[in-house]
Amino acid sequence: MIQKLLDIDRRIIFVLVLVAVATPLLMGTVLPITPTKEVQAAYDEIEKRAAGDVVLVSFSYGASTVPEMQPMARAILRHAFRRDLKIVAICLWPEATGLAQEVLEDMAAEFELQYGVDYAFMGYKPGNFSVILNMGQDFHSAFPQDHWGTKADELELTRPLRSLKDFDLVFDLAAGDSIEFWWIPYGQEKFGFPFAAGCTAVMAPDLYPFLDSGQLNGLLGGLAGAAEYETLIDHSGTASKGMSAQSFAHLIIVAFVIIGNAAYFISRRTRPEQRS
Amino acid sequence: MARDTYVFLGFLLLFAVVNIGLVVSGLLSADWTGLGVITGAGMTLALYSFLYKDNPLFKFAEHVFVGVASAYIFGQYWYPTIYGELIAEWTELEAGETANWWLLAPTALGLLMLTRFSLRFAWLSRYSFAFFVGLGAGLTIPRYISSFILAQIEPTLRPLSLSWDGFNLLVILVGVIGVLVYFFFSVEHTGVAGRVSKVGIWFLMVSFGASFGYTVMARISLLIGRVTFLLEDWLHLM
Amino acid sequence: MLFFNRTLPLIVAFAFGMLGIVIYYIPHSGAQSVEREMALWVRIVFAFAYLLGLYSLLNLHWQRIRQHAAGWGYSLVAIASFSLMMLFVVYNDGHGPFAAQAAAGGYKWLFDNVHVACASTMFSILAFFIASAAYRTFRARTPEAALLLVAAVIVMLGRVPIGREISEFFPVATDWLLNVPNLAAKRGILLGVSLGAIATSLRIIFGIERSYLGGGDE
Repeated sequence: MIQKLLDIDRRIIFVLVLVAVATPLLMGTVLPITPTKEVQAAYDEIEKRAAGDVVLVSFSYGASTVPEMQPMARAILRHAFRRDLKIVAICLWPEATGLAQEVLEDMAAEFELQYGVDYAFMGYKPGNFSVILNMGQDFHSAFPQDHWGTKADELELTRPLRSLKDFDLVFDLAAGDSIEFWWIPYGQEKFGFPFAAGCTAVMAPDLYPFLDSGQLNGLLGGLAGAAEYETLIDHSGTASKGMSAQSFAHLIIVAFVIIGNAAYFISRRTRPEQRS
Repeated sequence: MARDTYVFLGFLLLFAVVNIGLVVSGLLSADWTGLGVITGAGMTLALYSFLYKDNPLFKFAEHVFVGVASAYIFGQYWYPTIYGELIAEWTELEAGETANWWLLAPTALGLLMLTRFSLRFAWLSRYSFAFFVGLGAGLTIPRYISSFILAQIEPTLRPLSLSWDGFNLLVILVGVIGVLVYFFFSVEHTGVAGRVSKVGIWFLMVSFGASFGYTVMARISLLIGRVTFLLEDWLHLM
Repeated sequence: MLFFNRTLPLIVAFAFGMLGIVIYYIPHSGAQSVEREMALWVRIVFAFAYLLGLYSLLNLHWQRIRQHAAGWGYSLVAIASFSLMMLFVVYNDGHGPFAAQAAAGGYKWLFDNVHVACASTMFSILAFFIASAAYRTFRARTPEAALLLVAAVIVMLGRVPIGREISEFFPVATDWLLNVPNLAAKRGILLGVSLGAIATSLRIIFGIERSYLGGGDE
């Protein structure tokens, strides 16, 4: 019996996971979300900015992390535009351009923004850390034109921006090591701008040393971070709706870990001759 | 026919029937947007079919993805950089503007890199890699010293105090030292070094456990995203 | 010939490596201009580096088709889908390849409905396998493994709303685990990785590490 439990077909486990995720989504279950201090700190960074301040948002993620990162991007931009901040968007990953374009177009329609005045989309430049180094010295050298070919000098928003020091806040949305190995050593360390970030949940634990040292002023980790930010800006988006499914899926996996270990230890006790 | 063939054909038939129903009922528009949702749903389900068993549908979708992704990324290198910064620099000059002739140097280095595939001229690509790797190594050193070593040691050595914060600082100090001793393999991990490295292992296990918990969260989040797309955007059940 | 094949590239690596270190410490505007120019050069060389990877991928699939290797039909699918997407890349919604990138068109459609769908799905499949692994293979065989699993369970419950509903212990414990022992371990790893990266960079600059040159010494 225990052995049958241990040897269960993994497709049954797959179905249970799918049910745990789909059921709360179909039922529209909502659970209360409490923001953590790291997300609150990121929120406070945007709250501190005055109307008209310029924020650089760097999209450093790809299509594989859309479910985690797009809700985060929408929440950050929604908050920034509500506070009349100006946004300059860049991409440090090639896949991010289509994703950034989608979010910016949706926000532009919602807030009736004027391109080139309220926001600008500079597109993607290859080179990883060298883009940040380039921007640090001369923003127009790194991004001589926007994604659509208009010269940076011709856009009202980007015309006066000369280097990273001209930004009031830099926000990186990352699925790779751009926060830790590009922005902090090649940007924040030299130019000292306020820096906050959002990242996939996989990377979040790695960034706590930078929160402690003050090199990072706030952090959104994964879908939970995005949901907490949506709670802070009082907007129920995709992330908040997904947290109930997230909760039940985690419960199922914790149950798997406990049941699997319990079955393992019981089977070891009932078969002493197989003990090493 | 084998059982799997029946399953495969049944799946295709069900997919077609569902989509026809969605279009006829007006839940999906009969235009490029609607076709896009159907395509997205089809690719999603084809890839998920791997959970049942590795099958031709999964392999087909996987290879379509590889082809589309590599061409898309080429576009992202072509338009902003190869065309936008190099070709346009010399072909779209306005009156009174002069080209940045210095750009010929990285262009030449870039083209030399492509000689990697020639048996006879592959040695020329070494200059490109030497520039790229050498400069990268040089830029790394002072920045890593400043932002990773100095900036991380300073908060570790803050003054301790008789408070909860002081206790946490002590735990962090002990943990950092333990982990550093664990990774110092030039000294045998016996005696005092062995005990300290054991403490480091405990801290590493907690850290890996936290990372595992977050990894589970990340993967489940991605699943939630796809299930939301299927239930909301495709089937309109949410 | 050995001088041009091996020695001169090593001299180039040394020269640019030392340049990268030295310009960090010179605040003069001339040095900063050099740094800006070098960053621009790296960006442009990086763009060509992608072509290496693209060629390798296409060549791999082309060889499979030529040799009728196992699964060559799928390689045909890969090349066909690449060609279709390239057609849209070049067409650029009617503007052609020698104009700025268009905002919409077949290129965007394929990205939104094929690329995004496939990329998200591929990674989300891992959710199922992680659940299966959690049940079948994650065993607390040693005290260290048990500690790992306990930490994982606390974080998994502490970072979702239901953890707080079960008990306040989970979010509080998660917060402490992440900000104290996890921080300590990650900081130790970061220090070790940084020292290793600096050592490797020095080896590259001084020509001890030469694997990036590739191939033999001819």
